[in-house]
Amino acid sequence: MSNATLTLSLPESEIKPQPQTPVDGHDPKALISMRNIWKTYQMGTESVHALHGVSFDIPRGEYIAIIGPSGSGKSTLMNLIGCLDTPSQGEYWLNGKNVSEMDDDELARIRNQEVGFVFQTFNLLARATALHNVELPLIYGGVGASQRHEMAKKALESVDLAERMTHKPNELSGGQRQRVAIARALVNHPSILLADEPTGALDSHTSMEIMDLFERLHSEGNTIIVVTHEHDIAARAHRVVSIRDGLIEKDERIK
Amino acid sequence: MQRSGEDEFEPQRSIYARADLPARITSHPLFRFAALWESFRVATASLRANKLRTGLTLIGIIVGVTAVIAVMTIINGLNATVAQTFSSQGSTVFTISKNPQIITSREDFVKFNKRKDVTNEDAEAIGRLCTSCWRVGVAANAIETVKYANQKAENVRVRGVNPLSMFDIDGVTIDAGRIWTESEGDSGREICVLGADMLKNLFQDAPADQVLGKEVRIDGRPYTVLGVLEPLGSIFGFSRDNVIYIPYSNYQRVYGARRSLVIFIQVPAAEQLESAQDQVRTIMRNRRGRSMDDPNDEGFALETQDVFLNLYSSATSNIYGVTWGVATVSLLVGGIVVMNIMLVSVTERTKEIGIRKAIGARRKDILSQFLIEAVVVTALGGIIGVGTGFGLAYVISALIGFPLLVSVLSAVLGVGMSSLVGIVCGFWPAWRAAKLDPIEALRAE
Repeated sequence: MSNATLTLSLPESEIKPQPQTPVDGHDPKALISMRNIWKTYQMGTESVHALHGVSFDIPRGEYIAIIGPSGSGKSTLMNLIGCLDTPSQGEYWLNGKNVSEMDDDELARIRNQEVGFVFQTFNLLARATALHNVELPLIYGGVGASQRHEMAKKALESVDLAERMTHKPNELSGGQRQRVAIARALVNHPSILLADEPTGALDSHTSMEIMDLFERLHSEGNTIIVVTHEHDIAARAHRVVSIRDGLIEKDERIK
Repeated sequence: MQRSGEDEFEPQRSIYARADLPARITSHPLFRFAALWESFRVATASLRANKLRTGLTLIGIIVGVTAVIAVMTIINGLNATVAQTFSSQGSTVFTISKNPQIITSREDFVKFNKRKDVTNEDAEAIGRLCTSCWRVGVAANAIETVKYANQKAENVRVRGVNPLSMFDIDGVTIDAGRIWTESEGDSGREICVLGADMLKNLFQDAPADQVLGKEVRIDGRPYTVLGVLEPLGSIFGFSRDNVIYIPYSNYQRVYGARRSLVIFIQVPAAEQLESAQDQVRTIMRNRRGRSMDDPNDEGFALETQDVFLNLYSSATSNIYGVTWGVATVSLLVGGIVVMNIMLVSVTERTKEIGIRKAIGARRKDILSQFLIEAVVVTALGGIIGVGTGFGLAYVISALIGFPLLVSVLSAVLGVGMSSLVGIVCGFWPAWRAAKLDPIEALRAE
């Protein structure tokens, strides 16, 4: 399942985006199956490889942390997992679909249906109420008004914010805002919950509350991927993947 | 969309237990009503949040639409008035006069003034010789001050007419009392028939039948009121009822035979107009001969109402042209302002666009959101413009005195035109928003 690769300290120019060791085809049982993913950015005349040949699988229902220092390629990996971007090379299978070759609108639909984002800075719409923020993915999913309302209410109840439904983000505390964001991420019943530094903007007490919530959501069957640079946050996950210099440095099960 | 492997877990039952999932959302039509409605809500909310900016954005659109609506409404009203006015006299009447109604140059004015006066004898000759003519009459006007008791009416048109059929040619009908008889008319006595305005201006709105037999003073001379005419209404703010008819014989006695008069000729139907005009032209040429000074001048003017109608329609078409010019320029400027504001709006809301894209908004969702915002602004401008346009037309119509004809078509046109400006000018900013990279957009502050 894990596919740890050694860090190669080759000069940039000698790294060619070509599959080195052929990897077996994607694992059809895995929820996420990445095979030899490369991501190359063009910076002027220079090519910068953010990821060079990353392969791993995530089964359904796993709680995984992706950890790495800044510049390690973990943000790039997160953007790829979240279908905000497509790899320069390699295959990415999400819930049985090959996402690596999708166009903008198909990706938007995958993000809507398969991915629930939780961001460091919450990224709620400031002018909308908590309820409306949570309804938003359903609106883009084409869910009818009454069903949408019902689902959004349930999602807010599940993060203990039933009392705060009509409040706007600026009337909520940081922890409450993050819980609204989690409700929004969950409302469409996505395949994965993808959290990017979810506690980065919260005090330690609230951070623990949010991490407790993730644990509960995991125990309820959700697949959770937390991207972080904090080891104590990563330690709450059941599996930790360490990224360094665009490669998987370590992939270990800790629980 | 199918979910596999759900049985592999034994999750705690709760709201978010995976087994509790409802059937997955599958509806993906070309456009999603919920998303459009969301766009509309966002658009109106953002406009409300930026009231001043919205107001300033609207000005160009409002001015353009107001101009179009006001002018269309006013001209519709004028058209109705003109149509009504000229159908009462009809296209069966033409006139012979010394000067044409419209003189465009000083040279012409000098030339026309050298002509011989048109006289009663000319009219008699036409009446005798023109076989296609039906009614022939003469009329001459003087502007006078008229008094009754301590009431005074100024600038009253005193119209001397002969014979009685001149009332028919003028298209006026009696409301109360009577017109004079033929012998009364020939006698040169001081008798008159009042236009409807005289009741208001001299008799404090007394009923028409109560002024019969009263004596009014025209320039100090007493005239007995025989009858009162039905009102004709006004045209371009000039009342057509501010008139007193007196017999031409009396007019001639007071103002002298020196004054040139106008011969009115009516034919039974419009088809005879041309042949009657030919006959009358021949008769008049015979009577005038060629002018000694100017061999090119016929020595009289033969005119129909078309002269006025032509002038009117060329005037209104000029007004239309200018208005469309004003409207086009202000809509163009308004459209550029809208485009500019939409670009600002897109830049301001880059983060929001990123969030929406991250949670599943497609390009067309973002595109429609900003397009709807642009169209809501411009349509709002159009609606306000239609309102102010009708308001302006109402004020002007009340001042000048013509009917206000509110046309639904022009309202639809006004709002439609401004909405079109919104679509055209909103498209590029909306497209820029739609193709923003979600990662870049999320990074924006």
